[in-house]
Amino acid sequence: MTAIRERTTLSVAAKVPPEENGRVKLLLVDDDADNLLALQAILEPLQQDLMLAQTGTDALRLCLEHDFAAILLDVRMPEMDGFETAEMIRARKKSLQTPILFVTAYRSDEQLFRGYNLGAVDFLFKPIVPEILQSKVTVFVELRRTEQLLRRKAEELERAEQRFRAVLEAAPDAMVITNQAGTIELANSRADTLFGRSREALIGRDIHSVLPAWECAEEGFPRASQQPTPEQRLIAYRDDGSPFPAEITRNSFHTPDGLLITTAIRDATDQAHAEARIQKTNLELEKRVAERTAALRYSNEALRQFAWAASHDLQEPIRTVVTYSQWLSQIMNSNLGARESKMLATIEQHASRLNQLLAGLRQYIQVSDSGLHPMTPVDCNAVVKAATWNLQAMIQESGASIECGTLPTITSLELPLVQLFQNLISNAIKYRSAEPPVVRISAQADENYWVFSVRDNGIGIDPNYFDYIFGVFRRLHVSEKSGTGIGLAICRAAAERLGGRIWVESTPGNGSTFHVSLPQ
Amino acid sequence: MRIFLAEDNLGDVFLIEEALKRQSLNCEIDHYATAEEAIRAAELCGNAGAPIPDLMMLDYNLPRGNGSDILAVAGRNPKLAAVPKVIVTSFLQADELAQALELGASCLITKPVDFESFMRDVGAKIAELLRAGGEPEAATS
Repeated sequence: MTAIRERTTLSVAAKVPPEENGRVKLLLVDDDADNLLALQAILEPLQQDLMLAQTGTDALRLCLEHDFAAILLDVRMPEMDGFETAEMIRARKKSLQTPILFVTAYRSDEQLFRGYNLGAVDFLFKPIVPEILQSKVTVFVELRRTEQLLRRKAEELERAEQRFRAVLEAAPDAMVITNQAGTIELANSRADTLFGRSREALIGRDIHSVLPAWECAEEGFPRASQQPTPEQRLIAYRDDGSPFPAEITRNSFHTPDGLLITTAIRDATDQAHAEARIQKTNLELEKRVAERTAALRYSNEALRQFAWAASHDLQEPIRTVVTYSQWLSQIMNSNLGARESKMLATIEQHASRLNQLLAGLRQYIQVSDSGLHPMTPVDCNAVVKAATWNLQAMIQESGASIECGTLPTITSLELPLVQLFQNLISNAIKYRSAEPPVVRISAQADENYWVFSVRDNGIGIDPNYFDYIFGVFRRLHVSEKSGTGIGLAICRAAAERLGGRIWVESTPGNGSTFHVSLPQ
Repeated sequence: MRIFLAEDNLGDVFLIEEALKRQSLNCEIDHYATAEEAIRAAELCGNAGAPIPDLMMLDYNLPRGNGSDILAVAGRNPKLAAVPKVIVTSFLQADELAQALELGASCLITKPVDFESFMRDVGAKIAELLRAGGEPEAATS
């Protein structure tokens, strides 16, 4: 008996939780030490933790301390018999469910009835058949193991669920988890606050009751591990029926019960207000810009009219001065001295020049205004032909050769195009070197633009003046070269009016190339 | 020969007279310096003893109106129906020219800057118009 107690104590002292070593505890109760040893020997191969008790009291004490997978209880024992012991074991909550197998030598109905009534799960009759005992106990060992496994799983699930809930609660947005039909299965407390409902009221409801426009996308939603759907602005409804703008993003995850959709909902009221403010500000800005533009357009128009009238009205007196000085010099031809002739020639020369300047100014204004007309397809070959036709006299007089490659047809305006090429060609001839002028015109496609090039073999331009020359009345040479200083300004105005730009490349003494990019 | 001349630039009136002289055309010129005067005269032409000109030469930009205003009035005077009317100006915009032609101008004479051209071209054009204008009138009367 002492030896047995020791064994028992030893076994208890091991204190290894059954979950960890995979062993379960079995309690063997018999007043006879030999019987106990026999039972122990039979059950040893099962490799479980066996605990032994020789009295009902010992058994009860062990039941208090341990959780047994099964108890083998001898019916006939002194002091407290097996049935009394079972009753006591059953009386304790902790051991209420512990399966009890009674070991008895008698096969009486009364005993069986009493035993089963006390919660016995089985009876073992002496003499014990080891295989039967082993197989019966094995059943309970397996049962316990399965139970432990289930409990562990349940605990894991519980922990996972707690983690999940913690994440859900920690989310900065209201989170609502639904099935594909939109029935709410889970919601965090931010969702309650947002919708003014209690969570219980949300769960089980249709998400459409708070987000009527919520739809389950046909192509599905991104998985939880991926980026959610882009933000979508919907109208959401609080419990009291008041609407508010909400921004939602969604993703989904698979569960054994099917696909669940997580909808993150953010109250976008502040954002909507901010947007409205921005829109209002933008509208005000637009209005102010429109007002300014109108004012500018008005003053621009006034200036344009003034420039036009001035160029026009100055023309008449100048023309008269030119004509009359010529008339006078004709009449006085033989009667004028060298000094007087020179004076008259100077008057005529300057009046002519003023006349040219005014003509240039009118052309410039005309080109600047041409943007008001609608664009049409224009054959640039015909444009260059028209420009050279207008320059016939100059071309013949200078002996210039104009070489023109095949040019494209572009959507543009004919008049400013003719003026553009005419001024570029006349510029190339005007600023010629000692050699006879050669002007080459070509075009090259560049994405949405055509880049036209007018290349000459003239005197070239100092790079310092590449920009300067395009200004109105800007000249690099004295009047002998007969420039008015407005030709290239007309070219720039034309290029810009036609949605393009103009620039020059040149080496002094080595000719110039003017490039004009124009939309195709 | 009688020429109805609406021209505010007296320098041009003198030039036209010189051009006529050089073409050996002996013309009487009824000169009006403003559109207003020219309009009043155009209304009267052929009535109450006012003579009918053989040619109407109208500058476009005039004080108190323009060439088209005179053409409009002349168009309503049946006595001026057969008289050739020309716009004589140094510069005319396309829409102004179109309007003038619509109102009965037969052509546009651009005033040359160059004196020699003025004498030659304007003179020749006037002579041509006077010849052409005289014939149908002679046929009807």
